[in-house]
Amino acid sequence: MTPEQYAQAVREALAGHPEREELLEDLDDHLAEIAADSGLPLEDRLGPPEAYAEELAAAYGERPERGPRKRLDPHAWARRVHNGLMGQGPYRSFVGFLPELRPGWWVLRGYVLAMLLLSMTGEGQVAPENPADWAVVAAGVWVSVWFGRRRRRRPVVLAAVAANVVASLALLAGLAQAESPQPREVYMAQPDVWMRQASSDGVYNIQPYAKDGTPLTDVYLYDQDGNPLTTDPEDYGYEVDRSCGEPVLNRYPLPLVERRAALAAETGPSPTPSACPTPQAAPVPAATATPAPVPTPAKTPEKD
Amino acid sequence: MDSSQLLKGVLDLAVLAVLDERDGYGYDVVRRLREAGLQDVGDASVYGTLRRLFKAGALTSYVVASDEGPHRKYYGLNDVGREMYAASAKTWASFSATMAALLKEGQA
Repeated sequence: MTPEQYAQAVREALAGHPEREELLEDLDDHLAEIAADSGLPLEDRLGPPEAYAEELAAAYGERPERGPRKRLDPHAWARRVHNGLMGQGPYRSFVGFLPELRPGWWVLRGYVLAMLLLSMTGEGQVAPENPADWAVVAAGVWVSVWFGRRRRRRPVVLAAVAANVVASLALLAGLAQAESPQPREVYMAQPDVWMRQASSDGVYNIQPYAKDGTPLTDVYLYDQDGNPLTTDPEDYGYEVDRSCGEPVLNRYPLPLVERRAALAAETGPSPTPSACPTPQAAPVPAATATPAPVPTPAKTPEKD
Repeated sequence: MDSSQLLKGVLDLAVLAVLDERDGYGYDVVRRLREAGLQDVGDASVYGTLRRLFKAGALTSYVVASDEGPHRKYYGLNDVGREMYAASAKTWASFSATMAALLKEGQA
């Protein structure tokens, strides 16, 4: 192998090296010098070009890309990131502060594990509900703090790691559960559906009359708590007429249209705007007994 | 004990010491190290070390035309290299004294 061939083989072996040209800048001259020094072939003096390349890269300080890749070591990676971040002031003070949080974590861990235990035996819950629950929680916290204050031997450390992992997962699960709304909370958050009972008896609209027999319009109805009284006309094949904007659902009588007609109106020509009453400014009890045509669901356009 | 393992740790210092004596080209440095008694020193290791020290800014280099062979790239210490050499030599002297004392105790 001539010095040129040997140099070429070394170059190829270092194909992935980020600083190959810099490293091999005067390799040809160097190899020619060695070849001129003795009659021995370069392979005999220097070994195979691949081994030469590897030794070169090792001495230079940069590993060749083509070499055996280091396995990904999460622990070493985390340590490297940690060491890098330790140069940052806020991170350093945060790390310094962590040991002070440890007793707090012990208490929280005991609480979470106790709640996990209670959830496994009974219904899923995130807070103690009776004295027995409180006793279990107190015992859990006590055990957790006692455990945290013990001297650290290896089995203890492993148990602590396991307990911490379980507690952390349970804590996350509990937080996620607490954030998503419970079905019963949704039910309780809608107290304004009052006429359901009446609706089941067939009431889906209300026609108020004054004592002299005059039909009233724009009458706002509320229950004893001030919640609007509404009905479910949809259950009876009617819809509140929305052609004049969004109606107030507790203003009676409701402008109802048959659902089929409403669907046809949506696709057909736009309704005449003249039919729309002027909107009222505030929901005041309608004392005005203006005679108005009783809105009846019978006003349906001809079906095509 | 395999002396090549020990050599890895002090090759920088050995190369700096040779160049502190006088400037030299790559193969010349290898030869002088071997003449000094470091028989196991690898050619590629010395060449790689020279390139690294040069990249680190510790060495100057210049090409000298040769009559009978190829051009020779000479390396020599600059101020950075001399400082590096002094500091490394001090560390090594202290380290080897410690080791010598330790071995003496072990033998006694």
